[in-house]
Amino acid sequence: MEALAKTDFLAKGEQAAKPLVLWRPTAKTGLMGWLTTVDHKKIGFLYGISALFFFIFGGFEALLIRIQLAVPNNSFLTSAQYSEMFTMHGTTMIFLVVMPMGAAFFNFIMPLQIGARDVAFPRLNAFSFWTFLVGAIIVNLGWFMKDGAPDAGWFGYAPLTTRHFSPTHAIDMWVMGLQLLGVASIAAALNFIVTIINLRAPGMTMMRLPVFTWMTLFTSFLIVLSFPAITIALIEIMMDRLFGTNFFEVSNGGLPILWQHLFWIFGHPEVYILILPAMGIISEILPTFSRKPLFGYPIVVFSGASIGFLGFGVWSHHMFTTGMGTTATAAFALMTMAIAVPTGVKIFNWIGTLWNGHLTMRTPMMFAIGFLWMFMIGGLSGVMHSAAPSDAEQHGSYFIVAHFHYVLIGGSLFALFAGIHYWFPLMFGRRVSEFWGKASFWLVFIGFNVTFFPMHFLGMEGMPRRTFTYDGDMGWNVGNLISTVGAFILAIGVAVYFVTMIYTFFKGEVTTKDPWDARTLEWSLPNPPPEYNFRVIPTVHARDGWWYEKRHKGEIAKEEAEHAKAEDSHGGIHMPFQSIYPFLASVGILVGAIGVAVIDPANTTQYPGFWGPKVAVTILGGLIMFVSIVLWALEGNDGYHIHLNEDGSIKSEDFHSGH
Amino acid sequence: MFLPKYITKFSRWIGTAAALAGIVLLSGCFWLDGPQSTFDPSGPVARRQMDLFYTTCWVSLVIFVVVGSVLAYAMIKFRARGEADEHAEPPEQAHGNPLVEISLIGASVLSLVIIAIPTLSGIWYSFDVPVEDKADTYEITATGYQWWFKFDYLSETAQTLDPSGKLVNAPFSTANELVIPAGRPIHINLRTVDVIHSFWIPKLAGKVDMMPNRGNHLWLRSDKPGYFWGQCAEFCGESHAVMRFRVIALGPKEFNDWVNAQMAPARKVTLTAGTDAGQAKAQFAEYRAFRRNEAGYSNTFDVSPLDAWRAKQVPPATGENPALIQKGRELFAAKTCSSCHTVRGDGYIGVVGPELTHVGARSTIAAGLLENDRDELHRWIHAPNEVKPGNTMWVAGYLANGIKLTPEDEDALVNYLQSLK
Repeated sequence: MEALAKTDFLAKGEQAAKPLVLWRPTAKTGLMGWLTTVDHKKIGFLYGISALFFFIFGGFEALLIRIQLAVPNNSFLTSAQYSEMFTMHGTTMIFLVVMPMGAAFFNFIMPLQIGARDVAFPRLNAFSFWTFLVGAIIVNLGWFMKDGAPDAGWFGYAPLTTRHFSPTHAIDMWVMGLQLLGVASIAAALNFIVTIINLRAPGMTMMRLPVFTWMTLFTSFLIVLSFPAITIALIEIMMDRLFGTNFFEVSNGGLPILWQHLFWIFGHPEVYILILPAMGIISEILPTFSRKPLFGYPIVVFSGASIGFLGFGVWSHHMFTTGMGTTATAAFALMTMAIAVPTGVKIFNWIGTLWNGHLTMRTPMMFAIGFLWMFMIGGLSGVMHSAAPSDAEQHGSYFIVAHFHYVLIGGSLFALFAGIHYWFPLMFGRRVSEFWGKASFWLVFIGFNVTFFPMHFLGMEGMPRRTFTYDGDMGWNVGNLISTVGAFILAIGVAVYFVTMIYTFFKGEVTTKDPWDARTLEWSLPNPPPEYNFRVIPTVHARDGWWYEKRHKGEIAKEEAEHAKAEDSHGGIHMPFQSIYPFLASVGILVGAIGVAVIDPANTTQYPGFWGPKVAVTILGGLIMFVSIVLWALEGNDGYHIHLNEDGSIKSEDFHSGH
Repeated sequence: MFLPKYITKFSRWIGTAAALAGIVLLSGCFWLDGPQSTFDPSGPVARRQMDLFYTTCWVSLVIFVVVGSVLAYAMIKFRARGEADEHAEPPEQAHGNPLVEISLIGASVLSLVIIAIPTLSGIWYSFDVPVEDKADTYEITATGYQWWFKFDYLSETAQTLDPSGKLVNAPFSTANELVIPAGRPIHINLRTVDVIHSFWIPKLAGKVDMMPNRGNHLWLRSDKPGYFWGQCAEFCGESHAVMRFRVIALGPKEFNDWVNAQMAPARKVTLTAGTDAGQAKAQFAEYRAFRRNEAGYSNTFDVSPLDAWRAKQVPPATGENPALIQKGRELFAAKTCSSCHTVRGDGYIGVVGPELTHVGARSTIAAGLLENDRDELHRWIHAPNEVKPGNTMWVAGYLANGIKLTPEDEDALVNYLQSLK
């Protein structure tokens, strides 16, 4: 392929402009700059902005739910609207907020932490983002259509999702959207695995990797191994809905329990996909703000691996009430208890990190310590669920809702909020106000607890979940009202957080490099980092590489000078070309997905035979995608070189050498 | 922001303290003995499950207090005090302590063992009726429909018409109110005709799902006679939230009386001293109007639901109008109600919807949602979609067949159905 690219499309001595469609874009700003970018930092930023945008969506859906439930027998939302709300709230928060926020950090931070200039496959990275966006659009299209948004719950149990019980396109869009989100996630995960294994700087052994990078690796493995299960499930329900197969068609012998197994074999590792990045972020923040290394690094890493591995063996604890029989129930109960051990070990190690440290209570640290408390509560309520007979009362009730919000908000979201504060100076060169940061923390912390702690009691008092209303004589009135009030406090806290971030982005106090006196390599870069990341690929001498560099300045300076000379003599810093094809391929996927999920099948009198608008649009989309991928392959994987001045600014860009 | 040091120091703790106190206090406000509260088990299965819950609660609490105290201590003791401390030399860069790690792992495993043992015994106990009680078991099949529950009493039979019009004996079925003998183990087969439902009576037993093409079951026992609330606990569509049911546990004699009453065909009301002959047309304005999703219960009912149920078993002393009831019986067929509902003895054998032979004796209608009185029954017949959005009676009945009911029709039907004691 390389030989083909060089001789056929890049004649010697010619500039980057190539024959027609294989021209490589060079715009660094503006719309084309963003559509063609392959820079991991920009892609991370795109993921982050999208996640925060959808967070507002999901948050509104939650507030509407809480308004409806504030008082008994409320008629603020109809049942149909309520079903859309809780379905989309769950789908949005999981797939369009927490996962892309994690991807944002994986993208931006991980290559910097391992001393790389970008990920292994930059164009595939861009493709992952654009396909994610397509999936997000497809899943939300229903809001603008007569068919309505998906309304069968975020786990879409069959046979409720079969055509017979959900005749509109709402579920088709849910299935297709989720499928595409899976494609995006798997592509990104493969990219990250190859990057971590192959592109580490010299001296960066696996046991010197920052914990956040380890968690990136484990999360990526979880994605690659668990998404196929939901891919299969989604294909099966799609075939039932479109082509009349009988995977879940009860009248023809289909087995709805199969959907549950397939979904949860994905679904349980999915929740570890949601929490492991958070654990990675906490494992960076606590040492930095305690000014000592992570306590028990090898055990923390090993616990992450154990959680990932054991996470594949517990899925049926979501199915304790499906009548699996005593043996299976017992096995999954015990496995679920077992997985509490590595999780607990991590908490002990984080506390050990604080022990004997010098703790500075900046905003990231407050969110991190808030994480420790909230994740303890959420984890312990999870242990309560693992006792299967007890779970028979808790399943399908608000006790479960309380548990997963404690681990997802108190756990994942707190860590993500902490990470945004922590890495803000690095990414944007500005420092977030401590006062407003802490104000947002307290509002979020108090609002969150007031919203979700009462739900433990509501669940044990017998209130089922996914119910649009309840009677006033059940003893649930006070709890629901308190919960709604808490939700609004939480919303105000989130609003303060968002406004603070947006303000800081535009007008925040400009920061010096490494404002937190941190420990890992990403902080060795200017804030914000230049496009090429490192002037010189660092050589790593120890775990917490940057901490070592700061204490051995002379040795490092000498090394850098030697390596800079060597790299320059080899032609300069090698950068990947930008490309429009990842974006175009995703556009093709969008068109094709609309064909599959949105357009009605042909009216056979109007369009005799197989053809009609549905098939035509689907094929058109497929063609656009296919041609884009072919051109993507043909444009080759070469790049260009840049030479730097002493101060790090770009001296010259060299498109000549081609490879 | 610059604040005097002691204010900054305290304000950190005031925030946390206020939050924690708030949580604890707010929780104490809750009423833990509501009709579906699991804290008030009335049978051995629920009690065993609640005992296990308390075990997990205590273990979790101990862990939380111990670990939390260490965390709180660390947060306070090792905080950098002031600017100088923050820029001082970093503390000793300790990397870990294998002994601490191993002992903590051991302690975690031990606390899980404490939970695991009663978990395993609980799994086996709640799965099926204990061997020593099997002989005494009473068997019922519960079937989930969108959005109501059918109960088939397998060991009883009643006379009914089969589809060809022949008189046969078959196990009778009721709907939405499960009457069981107290003190005996009840084995309930769980089925569904459409989507996944879940059968949950919190005070008697944890739930088991009703899954298509799957033969699930659960068992329970009510220690004493009582009246219990139940609800579907797996999202099953638009009216999942209003798919509820009731369970009435009766002593042996009362239960036998109830079974005999059920086996009898539909009650006929004839002209007697207690009835009103040729009464003037009823005033229809007397039926209340309800807004969508308005509460379907009244406070008086909850004072003693079992007594309220008992009161429903006997016909009213006065006020029944045989002519109106007969008109309702005829309308029941004319308006195609009989194509979905069974009323044994009146020749109505529809099986799509709930069995109505003795619907007048139920304390609730519309699947545990509305109190069974004239106003609520009228509300249900008049505008079912306002009560249970998307329900089959409305969609496949009224809408699909263009059924229209005048106020007189509705009044007659209400009188007829209320007479079916």
